[in-house]
Amino acid sequence: MPSLRSRLVTLVGWLALVGVIATVWLGLFVTPDAVGFPDGLVRLLYVHPPMAWVAFVAYGMAFLSSLLYLWPRTRDMRFDRLAGASAEVGVVFTGLTLVTGSLWGRPTWGVWWTWDPLLTTTALLFVLYLGYLALRRVPGDPEAVAGRSAIAALIAFVDVPVVYFSVSWWRSLHQAPTVDFTGRHLYVHGSMAWTMLLGFVSFTLAYAWMTARRYRLASLAVQQEDEGLAHAIAERRAEGRVLV
Amino acid sequence: MTTSRRLAIVGFVIVAALGFLVYKGLTSAIVFFRTTNEALAQRAQLGDSVFQLEGTVVKGSVHRAGPNEVRFAIRQGGATIWVDNAGDPPQMFRPGLPVVVVGHFVGTTDRFSSDEVMVKHSQQYIAAHPNRVRASS
Repeated sequence: MPSLRSRLVTLVGWLALVGVIATVWLGLFVTPDAVGFPDGLVRLLYVHPPMAWVAFVAYGMAFLSSLLYLWPRTRDMRFDRLAGASAEVGVVFTGLTLVTGSLWGRPTWGVWWTWDPLLTTTALLFVLYLGYLALRRVPGDPEAVAGRSAIAALIAFVDVPVVYFSVSWWRSLHQAPTVDFTGRHLYVHGSMAWTMLLGFVSFTLAYAWMTARRYRLASLAVQQEDEGLAHAIAERRAEGRVLV
Repeated sequence: MTTSRRLAIVGFVIVAALGFLVYKGLTSAIVFFRTTNEALAQRAQLGDSVFQLEGTVVKGSVHRAGPNEVRFAIRQGGATIWVDNAGDPPQMFRPGLPVVVVGHFVGTTDRFSSDEVMVKHSQQYIAAHPNRVRASS
């Protein structure tokens, strides 16, 4: 009988799958074209902004977990594993954001890539967190590794608000966000807005599922290591007894 | 005070400093493009250097100037610059939309020679109703 938590994670996974399929179906077949966008190009609206959003959520979670790890009263290796799992999913979604953005940029703007402030800071975000994941793999005492990783996660997070506000701080080729969180305004209506909202929810659920699974994997790896160590010690002891 | 706690404080100071630097330093440093009126005002300094120029494509100005050249005017802040672009502009290109062109002024004139056009679009997406009768076109 699987635990309640594991059943909840499975449920979230199925909801994410159904949600993403529904988003694709609504986005491709139900929603209308947008004025001025030829050949259904606007349909990337239902996946590209949600992917960018998930990357932000993932890095936000890595930031919070790292903060909780560094705070002496809440210090726990579980926060370290959560930060690592979340950042890893974040890197996947940042990569997807860059790819879908590039696919959208070529037919609309006319270029696959340009060193516009938003694109540049997003590329920086990708590299920063790749660096963070690399830092996590630098061997050392687990506590020391967790500590320096947590500090790196805090530093890397500085780029997240910079990415979001880059379009309003600097001159950019990229348009302002369609979902304006600070001004609480949505620049899209009707079935297009609902499909986009579903995209946000589904990809967030997918993020939750992926992070939970990745976290579990990390916990199992630690458990296996501990058991392996205990086993090795027991073996050495047994050898000792034979000799005596 | 433990080492890790000290490290955490150092980390925070770095975060704050980085944030401040990124915002302050880059606000003035990042100029992705110059607008049409700015480019004309800085015409003398710009010479024939390559930069990105932004303006809205003037209606009725777009025409073919050669077998592989499209000519159009862009306007911003009351200033107009004529652009000769090598190659065809992207699919989304049309009068009334803002564009960023990459190129340089020709000689000492106010004409601009570009080899790349990037079309800007807004964050607003309006549903098209292909079956609806149009009031005006």
